[in-house]
Amino acid sequence: MISVKNLSHIYSNNDKLAINDISFEITKGETFGFLGPSGAGKSTTQGILTGLLKLQKGNVHVAGYNMNKVDNKRFNKIGVSFEQSNVYSKLTAKENLEFYRKLFDVPTREPEELIKLVGLEGKENDRAGSFSKGMKHRLTFARSMINNPELWFLDEPTTGLDPTIAATIKEIINGQKAKGVTTFLTTHNMYIADELCDRVAFIIDGQIKLIDTPKNLKLLYGKKLVDIEFIDNNEVKKETLKLIDDNDKKRMYEIINKYKIQTMHSKEATLEEIFIQVTGRGLI
Amino acid sequence: MKLFSTYIKEMKIAARGFYFYVEIIFAVILLVILLVAVKEESVSKEAEYLYNDIPSKITTYLIEKDINEGKARIAEPTEFKMKPVTFEITNQETSEVTLYEFEEEKTITVETLEQLDPETGKLTRTAYIIDNEEDMIRLSYSEGKIGATVIMSEEGELTYKYYLQGYETDRLVDLLYILHNESGEVLTTEMDNQVVRKLGFEQQLNNRENLLPMFIVFTGSLMGFFIVMAYIFLDKGEGVIKAFAVTPSAVWKYLISKMGVIMTTTIISSLVITIPVMGARINYLLFLVFLIVTTFASSSLGLLVASFFDDMVKAFGIMYGLIIALMIPAFSFYIPSFDPMWMRILPTYPMLQGYKEILLKNGDTGYVLIYSLVFLVSGLVLFALANIKFKKTLTL
Repeated sequence: MISVKNLSHIYSNNDKLAINDISFEITKGETFGFLGPSGAGKSTTQGILTGLLKLQKGNVHVAGYNMNKVDNKRFNKIGVSFEQSNVYSKLTAKENLEFYRKLFDVPTREPEELIKLVGLEGKENDRAGSFSKGMKHRLTFARSMINNPELWFLDEPTTGLDPTIAATIKEIINGQKAKGVTTFLTTHNMYIADELCDRVAFIIDGQIKLIDTPKNLKLLYGKKLVDIEFIDNNEVKKETLKLIDDNDKKRMYEIINKYKIQTMHSKEATLEEIFIQVTGRGLI
Repeated sequence: MKLFSTYIKEMKIAARGFYFYVEIIFAVILLVILLVAVKEESVSKEAEYLYNDIPSKITTYLIEKDINEGKARIAEPTEFKMKPVTFEITNQETSEVTLYEFEEEKTITVETLEQLDPETGKLTRTAYIIDNEEDMIRLSYSEGKIGATVIMSEEGELTYKYYLQGYETDRLVDLLYILHNESGEVLTTEMDNQVVRKLGFEQQLNNRENLLPMFIVFTGSLMGFFIVMAYIFLDKGEGVIKAFAVTPSAVWKYLISKMGVIMTTTIISSLVITIPVMGARINYLLFLVFLIVTTFASSSLGLLVASFFDDMVKAFGIMYGLIIALMIPAFSFYIPSFDPMWMRILPTYPMLQGYKEILLKNGDTGYVLIYSLVFLVSGLVLFALANIKFKKTLTL
């Protein structure tokens, strides 16, 4: 669905490459996470893939379209949800979607259905200007689905949303995946990526450091750990032990046999920890 | 269809906003001012300073003749206080320069003759008859008006020596030359070589009508420049241009739909002012054509300027500079003798002149059509540039 080969991009006001010779492929139906801190090149890559930024160097094919040639028709197959909600505040939720659907040449979804899907039922006729930030974000998210996109670009889809709404959004994304929609998810939230993505790419300073499935990354880079809290001389003590280390294994048996266990939790390395391990940088 | 739905959406947004009503309310206010505060009748402030270097008997005869024919009436003598002044006068024919130095303040009382329209009896201009040439020259210079010495030639014919301010148009100078040239041969030759345009259009438009071109240009055509910028900056603030950019619809349709709103409000506001004042006396088709192309050009300029800035505050400097520059031709419009060449390149100059021609009973339709084409082409070029710039700046 997306093919990127040797993509580079530089902004006119900067002599440093914003994107430096990156290559990756995304297959149909895949949810692909593009992860990195602010300024890593995520939005620039998404800008080029959506055609909002001109392709300078490299070969990029998106939804069957060569991005060297500008053709707005490709947007019939594409949906884009922006990080910053961008709806007409003077139009109602329904009017926003009604207007937007008329811009496409393909069958579109009913605005009421989408409004209900993102939990804005009953707000159809309220002006978007009266919405909270989260509600506007949901309306922007709903709008990105109006043309039944085959390829869906999501930029920080759950940022700023309360956990309940975020869970609804994740559910919708999984629902779209079940329908075979390909998703390019840009985020710096590793938990979201871990939950939703088939594969993730770590990007930093315009370069992709690795691409793999979250499971493989945890197997490759994660250290299985156990947190144990126990009572020793009426004092609560805590230790973290590696399950792959023989000395730690022995120590764990010792603690279990000798002391009263308060709590014991196995722990996997998070994607964030792996990102820091691989790139040497945090996500903020 | 996409263009139409975008236009409808823009109209909805505009109708729920502030700027849509600004233009129309402003037009209504101007109309009220025109109808209530501006009298139709022209009260001419045109003045001329004359020194009659002819026998007094002839002067008296000429004045009495004009009075009897209803062309003039004697008014109360006028007192002028002339301050010390130094200036030079260059003879246009010989290039000879004469220095005039007046060190003392001087007060003179001069005979005042009001010149009338013989048909309507309305005042058209005031002539001040000064009894010595030096005072006439000094007064003409101080008041910034044309002065003249009337001389009787040996053949008994009246000739005129004009004292101009130096910034008068070539048209005016040529016209004065032709008007009083006593040689029929020279007159014919000059007439053949000159394009004589009507200068005194105030003779055909009353005060109220005379204000219309400026009102239409500044509240109609030019308002599009500002309002389209305001709409664009509102959208930039909300980020909706990016949302439009990821649809199969072209950006130019979005820009055109903005213009559609501007056109609609401009047509409404301009007709609100024009219809009550002009009634059915003008060619409204020509009026609408000129209004649409001038609004198209000015709002294209607004789009182009808006494409360089993120918000109204950042664009304010250039906006302010442009409005000042574009207002300058209004001076020329109301002071026909002040018509320097550089002013003619400002777009508001032909806009004002074009509306004037439309309002005149026998206006120059060719002038209006030629400039309609010029504004259409300039508008297209500016629009194309704005479209390119908008497409380039639509980054995430």
